[in-house]
Parts: sequence; C-alpha cells; structure tokens
Amino acid sequence: MPRVAFAGKLALGVALLACTWLPAMASGAQTVTLHTSFSPDRLGASTTIGFGFAIAGANGDVPSPLVSVSLGLPAGIDYLSTTLGLAICQPAALLERGLAGCSPNSRLGSGSAYVEVPFGQSAGHEIPDIEALMGPPNHGNIVVLFYADGREPVYAQIVFEGELIAGSQTLGGSLNAAVPLIPSVAGGPPVSIVSVSTTIGPAGLTYYEHVHGHTVSFHPRGVSVPLRCPRGGFAFSGRFTFQDGTTTLAKSSVPCPRRR
Amino acid sequence: MSGRVFLGSVPTRRRRLAGLLVLCSTSAVVPMGGGPLAAASALGQPPLARPSRTITLSETAHLHLTSEHSLTLNEEGQASGTIRGTIYIHLHLSNNHGGVSAEVNIYPRGGSLTGSGSATYRVEGAQAVFSGKLAIARGTGSYLHASAPGLRFTGTIQRRTDAVAVQLSGPLST
Repeated sequence: MPRVAFAGKLALGVALLACTWLPAMASGAQTVTLHTSFSPDRLGASTTIGFGFAIAGANGDVPSPLVSVSLGLPAGIDYLSTTLGLAICQPAALLERGLAGCSPNSRLGSGSAYVEVPFGQSAGHEIPDIEALMGPPNHGNIVVLFYADGREPVYAQIVFEGELIAGSQTLGGSLNAAVPLIPSVAGGPPVSIVSVSTTIGPAGLTYYEHVHGHTVSFHPRGVSVPLRCPRGGFAFSGRFTFQDGTTTLAKSSVPCPRRR
Repeated sequence: MSGRVFLGSVPTRRRRLAGLLVLCSTSAVVPMGGGPLAAASALGQPPLARPSRTITLSETAHLHLTSEHSLTLNEEGQASGTIRGTIYIHLHLSNNHGGVSAEVNIYPRGGSLTGSGSATYRVEGAQAVFSGKLAIARGTGSYLHASAPGLRFTGTIQRRTDAVAVQLSGPLST
C-alpha cells in the first residue's frame, strides 16, 4: 500500500472557492493516451525513459480521479547496472523539507502534471512540479517516490510511491503506483489528473561524490535500452484505474532505433 | 578427524596434512604420519577411507572490478580469514527478480578452490546487497578433495564503482 501523506494548506482564495464547488461530473469510462520514449534510443545504451499520459473523460467531462497506474515496461531493460538512485530519500524528510530533505543522488527524474479542480464555473488548472526519487526498498524491490509540489490553486505537497517489479529478458517489468486522491479543498472532491509527463533517467540529473576530499559531480548511468529490438518496437502498456471503478488500458511503443 | 580452524592456527598442520594427501592415494589411511599406510598394506588389511577434515570457513574478501560484459562483473581481490589468497569472482546479475549467480575461484597457497552459487539481490541506495548459498565443488593441490556444499554467501556491490565485498562461511571438508 502506498504511503500517502499530505502537508497541504489551502490558500485563502481556494477556501472561498470551496463555497461554490460543484462535484466533478466523471461519468462513463475514461480514455487514456500513453506516450513513451527512450532518450537516447540506441540499443544497449544508458537512457532516460520518458512517459506521459493524457486522460479524457466521457463526453468532455472532467475525468474521474486516477487511483492507480501500472506501467508495463519492455522486456530486456537492464535495471541493475544503472547508478540512478545512489541515495535513498525518506518520505518523511521529503514531506517535511521538500527536495531539500533528500540527497541530490536520490533523484531519478522529473516531470509535470496537469489537473482539473472541480469547483467553480471554470475548472482550475495547475501544473505542479513532479520529482521522482529513490525511496526505501520494499521487499527487495526498487521504490520510486513521486513528489508533487502543488502551489495554485491547490496548495499541497504529496508523496506517493511506485514499486518497480523487475522483469527479465523475456518478460517485461512494471512500475506500479497507487495514486492518492488529492482533495481540492478540505472535505471537497478530489482533483482529477488530466495529464502527466515525467522521466526516469539521467537527463538533467547531476550527482555528487567525494573523491580524495573533493566533491565531484557526475551524471548517473541510466537504465539500459534492451540489446535487441522486437518487431514493432519496444512495447509499453499502461493500466489506469479510476475512482469510479473503471479501468482503462493504453499502449505505446518506442520505435526501434535506426540501423547505422 | 574434524576440527575448527581459525585464522593463524591453520597453515603448518594443514600443509602437512595436505602434503600427505597428495603423496598418498585418496583411499589410503592418512593419519598424522605416513607409517601406518605402509604397515596396513604390509599386513594385507584393506585400506580405510581417507578421513576428511572439516574446517569452519569464515572468509571475507574485498574485490575490485577488472572487466564487465553486459550484466557480468569480473572481480579480483584478496580473501582473508580461514584461508588467505587471491580470489576471483564472476558475478552474473539477472534482471529476473533480482537474482545473482556467482563463480568463485580462490587461490590459497598450495592449491585452489572452485565453487558456484546463487543469491538474491536487492538495491539499497549506493549499494546492492546479495545473500544466498555457494558450493565449493572442487579443488586442486592441497584442496584436491575440498567440498563445501552449503556455504553462506553474502556481500555487497558498490553501485558506483562495482567494488564487491564478499563473506563466505560454513563447513569445508578437505
């Protein structure tokens, strides 16, 4: 089960809006579009995995709040030789102090999200920064902490975790995350996630180590693209479960690298 | 004969015994001296099984990466403890549920030990930790008849440098 904690405080304006909130109309199944990428996309290379998804409600309605995501990863990805996550970030420290509470060497990637806040005549939007960090392992599995730092209109810092279930050369692994419901206001309906875009990999990350008494920066090594590309490319899949009880599947693939 | 052998108490006695083992046939009686073998043969008595000696192995080794290929780390270092010598380990990491398999060669003075094993593997920040079992299947020289089917095999891999620390412990028959 995910550890979920909220250190949220509501801005005054949001509190006033709470008087006029309308319940999110999230009826019917959602549709999800999944996007994935390797950067670089080269066989055997250390890479940054990019993934994102966009959720649409039926008939243009606000989608039902997302409660869990399971991202299926291609077979053959090498998770073991990466040097991502050389430090472990404790969720409590992350909540208390934000990113300053964790070592830079625990960062795994970053991204953003787009949410709809179901109150008022016009839905509010926010694009919180999302950071992915290495959390304490769970039963030997790598745990990715997702830290969302929302400012407006919902002021909330949220930590939730995804567990990486390693795959093999023939069976892909998966990253499974339970997404907490994010209250729009105290006692109000949860916000709906409309889209997420994030990365797991060394792009944009700088780690530090001590070498002969000096602090030296370096770029971590990412997970490795499989050595062989199957017909049709590297297949990703996403299983999205929503508060209304529906589940939507989505697929995406990263094209095979061009032969040189 | 069996006994516990600890660091510093082994070499003279073990080398003497090992030398006798090499000189004599494997099925011969090998007490602490060589005379009874000749005596037994002279009396026409069937040779008795070679008594094995069991020592409690407690090894620690620190190794550094010499080469790597895909998910195989080739490591070299020094073992210390019950047996001292150069140690080589080939660690094969597996994506499949975090397993690691290992081939180990130890070269103490006067012989060698070869074994293989497997362990579970998990990442804990800067290091990966493994824990499992390893069996010594064969040896050479002083360790020609070495056998250790169930050694405890634990260690860590520094993820930044791939330096490995290994502990091996358990009974070893020689």
